[in-house]
Amino acid sequence: MNAASEREFLTLSGISKRYGGVTALENVDFACARGKIHAVLGENGAGKSTLIKIVAGVVQPDAGTMRLDGNEVRFPSPSSANAAGVASIFQELSLLPDLSVADNISIASPPRRFGIIDSKAQRRRAEAFLAEIGCEDVNPLMRVRDLPLSRRQMVEIAKALGQRPQILVLDEATSALTSADVEKVYAMLARLKAQNIAILYISHRMHEVEALADRASVFRNGRHIDTFEWGTRSTGEIVQLMIGRDIATQYPPKPQRPSRKIALKLDNLCWEKRLESISLEIGTGEIVGLGGLDGQGQKTLLLALFGVLRGVSGEIKINGKPVRPTSPAFAKSRSVGVALVPEDRKTEGLMLPMSIADNLAIASLDTLAKGFFVDRAKERSAVEKGIARLRIKIGDSKDAVSTLSGGNQQKVVIAKWLMTEPSIILLNDPTRGIDVGTKQEIYRLMRELADQGVAILFYSTDYDELIGCCDRVAIMYDGRIVRELEGAALNEHNIIASALNIDAGAASPSSSDEVAHG
Amino acid sequence: MTAASLNLSLSRDARPILISASFIVVILVAGTFYTLSRLGTAPLLSPTYLLQQLQIGSFLGIVAAGMMIVILISQIDLSVPWTLTAAAMMATAVGGAWALPVGLGVGLLVGLVNGVGVAYLRIPSMIFTLGVNAVMRGLMVAHTGGFAPQTAATDLMRFLAADHSFGIPNALFVWLAVSVLVALILRRMALGRYIYAIGNKEAAAYLAGVNTRGVIVISFVLCGLAAGLAGVLLAGYSTKAYQGMGDAYLLPSIAAVVIGGTNILGGRGRYLGTLVGVILIVLLNSVLSIMEMPEAGRQVIYGAVIILMLLVYGRGERVTS
Repeated sequence: MNAASEREFLTLSGISKRYGGVTALENVDFACARGKIHAVLGENGAGKSTLIKIVAGVVQPDAGTMRLDGNEVRFPSPSSANAAGVASIFQELSLLPDLSVADNISIASPPRRFGIIDSKAQRRRAEAFLAEIGCEDVNPLMRVRDLPLSRRQMVEIAKALGQRPQILVLDEATSALTSADVEKVYAMLARLKAQNIAILYISHRMHEVEALADRASVFRNGRHIDTFEWGTRSTGEIVQLMIGRDIATQYPPKPQRPSRKIALKLDNLCWEKRLESISLEIGTGEIVGLGGLDGQGQKTLLLALFGVLRGVSGEIKINGKPVRPTSPAFAKSRSVGVALVPEDRKTEGLMLPMSIADNLAIASLDTLAKGFFVDRAKERSAVEKGIARLRIKIGDSKDAVSTLSGGNQQKVVIAKWLMTEPSIILLNDPTRGIDVGTKQEIYRLMRELADQGVAILFYSTDYDELIGCCDRVAIMYDGRIVRELEGAALNEHNIIASALNIDAGAASPSSSDEVAHG
Repeated sequence: MTAASLNLSLSRDARPILISASFIVVILVAGTFYTLSRLGTAPLLSPTYLLQQLQIGSFLGIVAAGMMIVILISQIDLSVPWTLTAAAMMATAVGGAWALPVGLGVGLLVGLVNGVGVAYLRIPSMIFTLGVNAVMRGLMVAHTGGFAPQTAATDLMRFLAADHSFGIPNALFVWLAVSVLVALILRRMALGRYIYAIGNKEAAAYLAGVNTRGVIVISFVLCGLAAGLAGVLLAGYSTKAYQGMGDAYLLPSIAAVVIGGTNILGGRGRYLGTLVGVILIVLLNSVLSIMEMPEAGRQVIYGAVIILMLLVYGRGERVTS
């Protein structure tokens, strides 16, 4: 059995794939074995997503062959890949929001009785799979729409397990999970590994890869760079392989800022039960982080500031003037100057089928108009400036934005807002599911903008990021700001203690360590 | 397979337009063969006949121009038949210099109601506009007391719809003006960009600071205005307004938009396509009537052509990303 598991189970040779003018994969050789967790690493646009889409039958390669257990296979559709034992959990959720959890889990082949779906058996099945990943709290009869994002992702995982796969592909499957759920996924992966299943794991969270991987393959610019047993390379070496250049420091240095002008002042902001008397000041040129556990009102606060929510009470002052943002259109106007990079770039940040240029210009069209018409020369130059400023990798600005990799899509969202020249930028977890290189570019850009006097409010689920990027971090708990951390007090220990709303002094370092890894 | 996908990526929007344009040629050639063999004449190739057909088609063209805008924001306007009829009836009832403004005003008002219902009350347009259509119909029946209206079109209405200038029907100039306006809105104005953005992803457009409700209302108003204008012209062409005069315009206008390559789910399509779609439908109708095809057969062929065209466009349209 050991010898069998050592043999390569899935082998790809000479695989190439092009989208229009962009080469996503070029002559890639890749193999993975049973009973191993195989991490696939690389920046966004390195070709990881295309690789696993080919394995999952979502896209067909232009050239090359695929072998499963020694036999040549071809997956013209996701269902044929499923039939061969490949189950995938994608970054973009594939659940149907208006069906129940149980319906979704058994969607491909629901249990039937006399040809009619046996809803009782289906529910039991869903319960069993959910229990397997430790999600007994999810009611199988609930509609997926009503579940929070992290629960939805767990349902997605249960659905993949329901296919009893031989190969399990996880593409950023943990990016929306809470840390408790991540722990459950780890345990599940360990069990699957023991059952001799081949696992392909794609994640940008290095510590996850570190905890899980047996082997790793690094991709860069559509090419397979290296495959190695985990532990034979240092993290530094791996990062080096991924980006192909040295990274001196992860975060740009924080400048000293002795005096500051208040750009944004919140006084006693409340909204329903989700925001409770939020008071916060952000100076010009300051990056203020929003921390805390997921779903403590951070996103709600950003939406309230951007005018999305109705019935917000309290006072918002921008540059000393009280404002009441009633809509995003108002919030982005010159006199207010607020920009929001939303949570989900695919549904909130971008019109995916539209061109890169159209997406970039959409927020600043009012300033690009001359009389009744859009000044096309001005628009073109603004678009080019935006692309150059964020170094967005594109073929042609007329291509659909959906052809870009995740990191470049996020850059389009950010560039779109920089084109409106905002004085206050709200960022909702802008680095989620984005590669190391792009992350660093975003950090640098944030600091650059701050140096130009922009005030930045930055929500992130990554504590490292908050510590590295922010001048100050406000920790939220249950709709309130429980603590503001600054200077030396801005460390992981304090963030975690405040996020759990426990007194930082009383929390013993060991217990907070546990939480940190949880 | 690669060649096909390349071809597709080169001309995603132009392809349906090319296909329907070539289908127009097919209709003309087939129709001419028929008439030559049966009657020994070729009316389909005579400019006078074609201009006359286009004159009739211009009413459909104006309705379709408005319908396209609404379809682009992934909505639909089913109130067109009785908006058109109401505009015509009100215009002829008022008469005189106010006939045209009143007709357009009716269209604007209905469009405004539709827009507010969809954008602010958040009622799906398919239901809301259907309801508005029924309401308009009821109002018009009440207005005429169930009898054919006794009023007649004004001279200006007749001039715009039925007269010729330089040998070309004036209705064609009106259609041209509407077309230029819509094309300018869609291609050159920020409003056009917002319309496409909303059709693709309303949430993203809203979060990009687009006044989505305003754009939705304006779109329905434009559609209502177009229907109103078509009603006034049609009354001018037939010298009077009559019950049910708009019934023949709802499905053909939607069909023209879709045949022209506009995505029925919104967000994609070019105005040129709608123009070509209208011409295709008009010529198809006239060829079928030359062939003296019975009404039943015409409906079958008409429906089959629409489905066939959509099948042709659908091929290779599966988006992989």
